[in-house]
Order: sequence, then C-alpha cells, then structure tokens
Amino acid sequence: MQLMQQLSLVLVATCLASSPLHAAEEQPDEAQVEAKGPHGGILLQQDDVAVELQIFEQGVPPEYRAWVTRDGRPLTDGIDLGVDLSRLGGQVDSFEFAYQGDYWLGAGVVTEPHSFDVEVTLAIDDKRYRWRWESHEGRTSISPEIARRAGIATAEAGPNTIERSLTTYGKLTTDPQQIARVRARFPGVATQVNVNLGDRVERGDVLAQVESNESLQTYALRAPIDGVVIERHISRGEMAGKEPLFKLADLTTLWAEFKIFPGQRAEVAAGQKVRLRAEGIDREGTIHHLLPAPGNAPYTLARAELDNADGLLTPGLLVAGDLVVETVEAPLAVDNRALQSFRDWTVVFIQVGDIYEIRPLELGRSDGEMTEVLSGLNPGDRYVVENSYLIKADIEKSGASHDH
Amino acid sequence: MLNRILRLSVERRFLMLFLILVLVGVGVWSFQRLPIDAVPDITNVQVQINTEAPGYSPLEAEQRITFPVETALYGLPKLSYTRSLSRYGLSQVTVVFEEGTDIYFARNLINERLGAIKSTLPPGLEPEMGPIATGLGEIFMYTVEARPGATGPDGHPLDATALREIQDWIIKPQLAQVPGVIEINTIGGYDKQYHVTPSPQKLLQFGISLDELIHGLRANNGNRGAGYIERNGQQLLLRSPGQLATIGEIEQAVIANRAGAPVTVGDLAEVAIGRELRTGAATRDGAETVLGTAMMLVGENSRAVAQAIADRLEAIKPSLPDGIKVEAVYDRTALVDKAIATVEKNLLEGALLVILVLFLLLGNLRAALITAAVIPLSMLATITGMVQTSVSANLMSLGALDFGLIVDGAVIIVENCIRRLSQAQHAGPLALKERLQLVYEATNEVIRPSLFGVAIITVVYLPIFSLTGVEGKMFHPMAATVVMALLAAMALSLTVVPAAVAVFLRGKISEKESPVISGAKSLYRPALLVAMKLRWLVLGGATALVAVCLWLATTLGSEFIPQLDEGDIALHALRIPGTGLEQAIDMQSQLEERLKAFPEVDKVFAKIGTPEVATDPMPPSVADNFVILKPRDQWPNPDKTKDELVAEMAEAVEMLPGNKYEFTQPIEMRFNELISGVRADLGIKVFGDDLGQLLASANDVLDVVESIEGAADARVEQVTGLPMLSVHPKRMALSRYGLTVDDLQDLVAAGVGGENAGLIYEGDRRFQLVVRLPEDIRRDVDSLADLPVALPDGGYVPLSEVAELELAPAPNQISRENGKRRVVVTANVRDRDLGGFVEEAQARIADDVDLPAGYWLNYGGTFEQLQSASQRLAIVVPVTLAIILALLVMALGTFKDALIIFTGVPLALTGGVLSLWLRDMPLSISAGVGFIALSGVAVLNGLVMIAFIRDLWHEQGDLMKAIVDGALIRLRPVLMTALVASLGFVPMALNTGTGAEVQRPLATVVIGGIISSTLLTLFVLPVLYWLLHRARASA
Repeated sequence: MQLMQQLSLVLVATCLASSPLHAAEEQPDEAQVEAKGPHGGILLQQDDVAVELQIFEQGVPPEYRAWVTRDGRPLTDGIDLGVDLSRLGGQVDSFEFAYQGDYWLGAGVVTEPHSFDVEVTLAIDDKRYRWRWESHEGRTSISPEIARRAGIATAEAGPNTIERSLTTYGKLTTDPQQIARVRARFPGVATQVNVNLGDRVERGDVLAQVESNESLQTYALRAPIDGVVIERHISRGEMAGKEPLFKLADLTTLWAEFKIFPGQRAEVAAGQKVRLRAEGIDREGTIHHLLPAPGNAPYTLARAELDNADGLLTPGLLVAGDLVVETVEAPLAVDNRALQSFRDWTVVFIQVGDIYEIRPLELGRSDGEMTEVLSGLNPGDRYVVENSYLIKADIEKSGASHDH
Repeated sequence: MLNRILRLSVERRFLMLFLILVLVGVGVWSFQRLPIDAVPDITNVQVQINTEAPGYSPLEAEQRITFPVETALYGLPKLSYTRSLSRYGLSQVTVVFEEGTDIYFARNLINERLGAIKSTLPPGLEPEMGPIATGLGEIFMYTVEARPGATGPDGHPLDATALREIQDWIIKPQLAQVPGVIEINTIGGYDKQYHVTPSPQKLLQFGISLDELIHGLRANNGNRGAGYIERNGQQLLLRSPGQLATIGEIEQAVIANRAGAPVTVGDLAEVAIGRELRTGAATRDGAETVLGTAMMLVGENSRAVAQAIADRLEAIKPSLPDGIKVEAVYDRTALVDKAIATVEKNLLEGALLVILVLFLLLGNLRAALITAAVIPLSMLATITGMVQTSVSANLMSLGALDFGLIVDGAVIIVENCIRRLSQAQHAGPLALKERLQLVYEATNEVIRPSLFGVAIITVVYLPIFSLTGVEGKMFHPMAATVVMALLAAMALSLTVVPAAVAVFLRGKISEKESPVISGAKSLYRPALLVAMKLRWLVLGGATALVAVCLWLATTLGSEFIPQLDEGDIALHALRIPGTGLEQAIDMQSQLEERLKAFPEVDKVFAKIGTPEVATDPMPPSVADNFVILKPRDQWPNPDKTKDELVAEMAEAVEMLPGNKYEFTQPIEMRFNELISGVRADLGIKVFGDDLGQLLASANDVLDVVESIEGAADARVEQVTGLPMLSVHPKRMALSRYGLTVDDLQDLVAAGVGGENAGLIYEGDRRFQLVVRLPEDIRRDVDSLADLPVALPDGGYVPLSEVAELELAPAPNQISRENGKRRVVVTANVRDRDLGGFVEEAQARIADDVDLPAGYWLNYGGTFEQLQSASQRLAIVVPVTLAIILALLVMALGTFKDALIIFTGVPLALTGGVLSLWLRDMPLSISAGVGFIALSGVAVLNGLVMIAFIRDLWHEQGDLMKAIVDGALIRLRPVLMTALVASLGFVPMALNTGTGAEVQRPLATVVIGGIISSTLLTLFVLPVLYWLLHRARASA
C-alpha cells in the first residue's frame, strides 16, 4: 500500500502542480512605518517609546493627531513633539503639538497633497528620538529626455489677465433717429424728383419739388438727416398725399440688440465690451444700455452701437456677440490646458527637476484660455501646460486595468 | 480469441499485408482532412451578442439593451452562464454553453430568442451575433498604408479616411469570400462620411432648426420607381432619380423658403467629407494605419485558410490604387509551419534512431524494417482516429508521441521470433508449415505480456482525461493521440507484424548476436550475480533512491499549464479609464517607436479600442500591441532567449509615462479575452443593483481580504472613472419656452454626436450623410452652455437657460453576470495554502461585511479549479493504479508477482525526477505525461521479464538458474525497448524550436526514467523475485 501512496503522491504532485506563486517581496525598511496603531495611525517605536501619528480629516480640515506612550502608558505632558514635512520644491511645514485632552494636536492644517518627506522628532526629558520616512502621493518621475519626446512642456505660474465672456445672439437694427420718412407737407404734384433709391444724401439736400394743391406754390422737400435713400414712393407727376414719399436711413452706425436671458442678466451691464461676429466680419462695440424686451418676452436686450462706415453690415442681420462680462487682473493664473481632474480635485502638475507632483487648486474665474488660481499654487512654480494628461495618466496608471 | 487472431494473421498473411494498403489509403485520405494548428483550442462554447448603440452611455446601454437581451436568454437549453459588458456605445452579452454543445445549435436558439425581443429594444438597434470563431480564429492581419507622397484621385494625400475606404470597398469584400473566412474585421482609419455642419448663427438667421435641416436633407435624397407605361407595344420603365451624389448637389438641396427665396443647405452649412466618431484606431510602427483581421470559421484548417488569404491578398494588390501598400503583418501559417517543422523533425529523427537501434541490436535489417514499419502505419491510423474524433494536429496533440514507445510491443514480438527462428534453424532450413507454426508460437509466447503492457500504458493516461476546463482542453488531445497511437500499434503487432514476419523472415536467419548485445551480456551476468548476493544492499539502495527523489520532487518548482512559445510578443498597453482615442494614439506612437528600436523587432502594430465588429470590446484606453520578431538569425545575438528580450522590453517601455503593460502572446491574449474568467487565485464577486453600493461593499470586502495573512495584489475591479458631461434638462424652463425634453436631447445628440440624414451612394459604396455641429463648436465644452436652442416661434434660448451642465465621473463600464450587476474583488495568495486562505476569507467576510438585502457574494477563481482538480485526481489516480494492478494480476495470475512488477513504477519515476532536477526544469503537466509514459514502460519491461523467468522456472524447476538465464535472455528485448523509447525522445529533449517547451520536459523525464527503469528491471526485479519466491522454491 505504501507504494500506492508514494505513487499517488508523485502523480498528484505532478498532475496537480500547485499554483505558480512566488515569494512575496518584503520591504523591511518601511515595515516599521507601515505598522498600524490602535487609532489607525502610523505607529513609530523606538526602545520603550511609541508614537502613533495620524492625519485626521473627518469633518475637519486635515490635522495631525498623535498619541505618545512610554512602557504602554500614555504621556500627556513633558514632551516636545514636532513634525516637519518637506514638500517638493523645498517648502517645509512644521507642526508643534499640544495636548488636547485625548490626543496631541498638531497646530495647523496639513494641506493637500499629502505628499512629503516626514520627520518626527520627540524629546522626552533629555532623550531625543527621531523618525524619518517618505510619504508620497500624486507624484511621478519622468526623465527630461522622455518628457521632451513626449511633448511635455511647462510654464511658470504668474499673473495674467482673464477676460470672461459669454456668447449671445442678436439682430442689427437702426436707431429711430437714424431713420427719416419724408412726406409732402402740403399735398400736391411732384414736379421734380432728384434722388433715386440708394442715393446718398446729406442733410438739407433737395429730394423733390412739390407743387402744393392749395397754394400752387412749388416747394422743396429736403433731407432731414444724412443718409441713404432706402425707399421712394413718388415719381414725377404723381400726386403726393399723406403717405411718406421717401425713407432715408443713416447706416453709418448700427445698433446690435443682443438677447440676454435671465441666467445671464446679472453679469451684463452697460459699458461692457462686446466682440461681434457676423459672416466673417468682426467688430467691436460697447454695451450702451439694456432694455426690456418688447412684448414681455423673457429676456432683456443689450444694445451696442456699431460703426458701419463701410456699409458692410445691414439691419436685420443676425450676429453673434461675445460679451466681455469681466476682466480680472489675476495675480496668479494657469493655462486651462494644464488643468486635470484628480480624485475630487482639479489639479495642475508642478515640475521640480525630474519630479512631477499634483497641486490641488482652488480656482476662481476663467476664460477660454486662462483660469485664476485662488490657492494651492505659488507664483513662480513651474507647472505642466502641454500634455498634462500624460502626467495624470502616469500617476494614476497603477490603477489601470484590462477588465473584460 | 487472441490465438485465433494470431493464427489468422499468420495463415492469411498476404491478406493482412494487403490490409496495410487499405490502412495507408484511409490514412492519407484522413491526413488531408486533418485540421492543423499550432496550439489546441481552449475556448469554451460561447456566442457573443453585440449591439452597437451609437451615443449610448454605459448606463443607458445596460438599461435599454443588455438587460432585455440577457433576460431573453434565461432558460436556454445547455446554457452554462451569461456575462455582459455595457460600455459607451456598445452592449455585449457573452453566452457560454456547456461543453460539447453544437455551436450552430446554440446560435440558432439565440437567434430565435433575439427575434422575439426585437420590438422591445430601442428602434434602430440590432443585436448581432459575433463571428463563428474561436480563440484561434484571428489567423491573419494586414495593414493598408499609403506610400510616402501618394495622392488620391483628387490630388490630396491619401489620408486615413481614404485608406479605410479602400479597405472597406476593395480589399474586404474580396477577402471575405475566401473559403474558411467568417469575418474580416477592420479597425483604424475613419469611415468616410459626408458631413453637413450648420452654423448655429445661420440657422437662427433663417429661423431653421437642426431638425428641419435633417428632415430637409432626407426629403431631398431619394430615387423612386414609378412602374411602367406601354407605348406602341414597347414597355417603358419610369423612374425619378433624386439622390444626392456630390458635395455640390448636397449644397444645392433646398431646405426651406424664406420670403420667396429658397434657402439651400449651402446657405446654412458647410458640406465636406468628414470623420466618424470612431471607437477604435490602429497604429503601426508609430503611425496610424488601417488594420484588417481575418477571422477563421471554427473547425477550419488555419494553415490552409491563412495561406489562401495571403494568396488572395497578393491577387488583390494589382487592383489597388497607386501608392497603396498592403502588407501582411501577422500570418498564422508561419507559426503553424514552425510547429509542424518541430514535430516533423522530432518524429523523423526519432524514427531514424529507432530503426538504427533495432538494426544494431537485432542484427537483421529485415526484422528492423518490419518493426520500423509499425511507425508510419500506426501514425496513419492515429491520424484517421484524430480526424474521426475531431482532434486537431498541434504541438500538444503530436508533442507526446514517441515512436519508441509505440513500437515496444512489436519489438518484443519480432525479437522473440528472430530468436526462435534462428534457434530452430540450427537443424537446417525450415519447411513453410514449420516456419509458420514457429512464428505463431513465438508471437504467442510474448503477445500476452506485451498486450497487457500496452493496455496498462493506455490505462495510465486515464487521469489526464479527468482534467476539465482549460487544462482538459490542453491535454485531452495529447492523451487521446497517444492512446490512439498505442491502440493502433497494438492492433498492428497482433496482425501485420506476425504476418510480415511470416512472409519476410524466411531463408537463413542470422543468429550472429550483435557485438553490442554480447558485450552487454558479458557485463550483465557477473553484475547480476553480484546483485543477487548483495540483495539487501540493492533493495536498500533502491528504497533510499526513491525516498531522496520524492524529497527532490517537492523542491522542484511547478507550473500548471506550459507556455507555448508563439514566437511573437503581444502586450496590452493600459492607460487610465477616460483616456481619449487621440491621446491614446499619441501615447501609442511613442510606445511603438521605442519597441521598434529593438534590433530584434520586425514590426509593431496595435489595435486601440474596439474594432468595427466588437469581438474584443476594449475602451480607447486599452491597446493590444503585437510585436512581430525577426527570424532569430537576424538578431544581433541569436542566442538571446525570448524571456530576456521580454524583460528588456518591459524595462524600456516602463520609462514611457502613462502606460502600464501586460506581456503575453497573440493567441494567448485572444484566449484570455474570450475565456475571461477571474485569473487571480481568489475572486469574490459582489452581486447587486446599485453601483455605488456594490462598490462600497466591494471595498469593504477588499479591506477584510487585505487584512488576512497571505493576501497579495488584492484589488477591486475598476468600474468608475469615465468623466461624463451630463446635460440635465430644466423642465420648468423648457416649458416656459415651449420646448420638450425630447427637443433638447435631440439637439444635443444631433449637434454633438451627429444625426444620420441618409446615405450617399457612389456605385456600390455607400456613405452616411451626417448632420452635426462644426468641430470647433462641438469640441468646445466651455461654450456648450451658450449653444443656441431654437424655439418653436423662431427665436432661440441658450442651452444653459434650459439645461444644467454637470461634469462628473461615471461608470466606465457595467459588468453583469447571470443577469445581475457585479463587481469583482481579486486577490492572490502568497506563502500560504490556498484552501485555508479561502476558508478564512469566507468566515471573516461573513462576520465583518454587512451586505444589504438583495446583495450577495460568490467565491471563485483558480482555487476552485485547483480544488476540483485535486478532488478528482484524488479519486482517479488510485482507481487507475488499482486498474493497473488488476491488469497485472490478470496477466500473471498472482498478486505477488503483480506487486513485484508494480514496484517498478516508483523506481522508474526516480530517474525522471533526477533528470528534471539536473536540467533545472519545473514539474508540469508535460512532465507528468512523461511520468505516465514511464510507468507504462517500466511495467511493460517488468512484465515481459517476470513472465519469462516464471515460465523458465516452471520448466526447469531451479529458481536461481531460471532467474539468471531468464534475465540474460530478456536482456536484449529490455535493452531494445529501453533504447528505442529513450532514443526516440532524444531529438525532443534537445530541441529548442517552436513548441519545444511542451516536449522538452516530457522527453527529459522519459529518457531519465528509462535509464533508472532499465536498471531496475535488470537488477532489482530479479532480486525481488528471488526474495519473494525462494521460500516456495526451497520448499
């Protein structure tokens, strides 16, 4: 029977061939740091002293909490505990700890990202303890040569002008004072008509001669404004009655009436610049005033006067207008191409040497190209503008998987 | 029965020899029908149901398509399980059937069910079944490229759209007709489309909505037939052609009438050839290309089909426009040829060695040739059997064939005949009748042990048949082929061999013993006598050897499934979810340039995202790279192993930012995609409804698993991470402007995604006419809020007024299994036994993870296969051993002798273990098959030896003399079988060609084992026999 067992052992061992596993790789250096304390923080131990350090961020901005024990007994005073965080770019955040009843609390907020080299120092009586380790997140390293080939380009963060605009559409019209309808003052026969459709006239020019039916006197009809004859309803020998004989329009300036909808209304005000686009013609103007729309329509009309000396624009034309609703001199702004989402944050990636790291930003106003930075970045920081997605992809790639 | 057959064979010897011709005829006929491939097919019986749903997000695809399709499949006969994937624009349901289900039957059932649910799917969406192909199906790939400076008929450089048009309308239709091709799948380039891109401003100007434009185009693009008229006896057909054909005509189409003036498309929009919103792209050597993949119909001969495709492609080339380069980048023929060359070389060299040994040891050329003739004949019979049982010829199925083993039975018979014939001829030439009688007797003397031997070898293969799943599919063909070859050889040695001996071995049979044998005998006799004296030492030594080797076996590494080297490298390049296609192409170019810089690399090409037919639905963030290597003689260092090269590549590409890689091989990659099980040791599937809850529960499970000792690489499947811009309609605001939600969605869908407004025909070619907003507007996410929405009264309102825009991450895919959403947590186990780990995980998860009602867990992973395999083998292996013992008892009639022979097995295995250890090879199933073959040889030799000794003993009555004489007489056949069996494997053991990794361990084990087994048969068996029988002998 022993033979049977031997044989079955060998055969089972052969046919079954247990799973191809390899020995786990241990990293003894960090083992001491990775140990978890009873509060879920990092446990630092040396001799009989133990420090548990935790970044607490539930319901409060991230802060350091620490528990210090000697021989298993908590120490509540008489110690000097400090944490120094060296961040990428040379910034060092130092935290002094004070006892808060339950734990030692570090003074100040541990700002994001939580990526730094940590140094913890502890002084009890005359004895000094020191622990150091690296705690990096959102960081990657790319050699300059590869970065160049991958098209990664950086820029220095600095002030910039941000022009925020919104796009609306509207029609070109003329102002009432630019239109003149000329009638015969006294009904009569037109004895002479001097102008034709499209003729340009100046104020005071004689448009026609009319012989009054009552006085049989001939009098001149003169142009009340400078303009172009756009309508003519009289010919020589015809009777001029009460209806207008000519319509003159002054088209050297036109008005654009943009529709401003309730959601946009608060941002629009008189005096704002507007860039007008119409069939390849670009003009600039200024919002002159705002008027309620006729007929209780749910929008407001923003009116801007436009120069049309060349006569390219015509009333009735639909135009698009980019209203510059705000111009800000932002002390710190970043290129929109640099912005990427990372976890719940919008971030840029700063570059120090070969190292790139996230900087979660609080952003302010933005136009199509630049965005104001309220906090999270220092002026002079070099940040990735072009191909910033590559940095994001490189940092997050450990999570990329091929799931079918 | 046996006697009768033998007598018949000898008496009707010419009839038997004639039967050879029949066998050869059938064999050759079968050979032409033998499906040949490089590796065995391990794909399960599955049908993919793909539904393309342009514009659908994962959530919509799941809700509207995946769910109804899955539900419709409930209760299908022979259904094993379903799994599904809902991605952007695609729903894929994979239906897996039980093993052995006829694929056409399965597809018919599915077709029937799909027909029934068509009305419940959103209009315009058609579920389609994937091609009838398996993991071996992608046999041929080619790229379509433009030569530098090549221009199209219009003088513009040939771009990706033009190349795609050539692929779609010139190459593909011709290749698709090659027999054996089921599908030509295209990826890369752009499907040509006619784009009408209206300016929102102009639409407002004329008060025309997008919808009106689309309807206007549809109403202006038709041909109509109008019956016929008979005039003066002649029939006139009537038709009114109105189809739009050119860009100019499209521009002239009238959409509306404003104040008497016609408003044409040209007034509102630009018309141009545009690019589709594609889901996949292809690259080659760093540049975009168009890649065609030919899929082979299941069960076809891949070599023949690939060859036919290559020939057809050559024939197509002259008809292509100037400046187009079509090149095959992957051709299965090369691999299959290499694999076949390996097998051929091994078999041929093995056969030659066998013939040489036979001639040297028998000293009779005719006898050697008769024995050797068994080799091709049993091969032909095996091929016939393979065709009948639809086993394909490949590295695995042909890899374990050893002709030395196969001819063992024949060797024993022929040897005995020669011995008897030459002995009988001392008295002068024999009469025919005497000769025939002698041949019959000589054969009959050894036929029983040799038949039993072959039967035992066959039985030993039984455990292999008990393997299931992937292992089963890999090794069943191997076992089946060997068993068929053995059975064929057995039948031949019963019929053809005695007949041939009777016919050809006449006249003077030379008795001259070859010098090799006489030399061996002069050494063997004193050695045997010494062994008989030092019997306890011999036994002790043997036992110690077994013990040492058992320990040694546990120190050998192990590998479950051998890696068949396909000669080429494939790698997945993985990027983070949400990576855009253009971005992925950029990253891919850098990767390919880096890979191409290796001097060993011939071509690099990749598929990014999903091809036209979604046989492998990948998101744009994943690319399948193929690295085709140059022939080894062109490498700077031809001795570099592939592993070294892969390691160098891994290191080089690791430097490139943003990519993660998984190295594999082309066929292996395809298998993995199709089988797609959990590939980690333990997979915990969380099933439920709400994605957020599923993810939360999965993370809870992950926390628990991570805290268990021995857990490694634990992670949760990535399900979110696709950034999604949602346009939420404001219902109140919409109603104030007289709009409906539908109006808004139509505008966003048509404006950004594009709306099909008909087809433009160019001969056979047909292209979509698509209306969508100009690129600069639809790409500008920031100003999407300002997009004007046309109002019924002609005015407009900006999008932000009637809708809320929100950018948030969303699920990038929704996976379901058996009709329920699931998220998988996977973990590997290190330095701990798998079973214990799984038990602890189950207990801890049951305690610590609180699952809401309607959520449940399912444990799977490789541990399941290991468990079921070990359970099955724990039964099958002892049963097999019992059967062998029973066969031995049957053959010998005593339990004691059977046990004596049985001891041969562990001793034979020692040699195998030692040789593995010497060559630094792991235990694998291949090696296991070697051990199996070995046990058979050991038993066969022992059987023949013991049977002979016993007969002698019974004749002469002196046990010691019987043992020594018997052993000496049997020295020649024992040496012969040992030598042919081991020499037959020598080419395999030394081979380094394609497929060698499967055969090398097997051959190594057999060669090593045969040496120890021969020593055992020659020394330990006689000793044991003496020890166990001396009591009776002296009595």
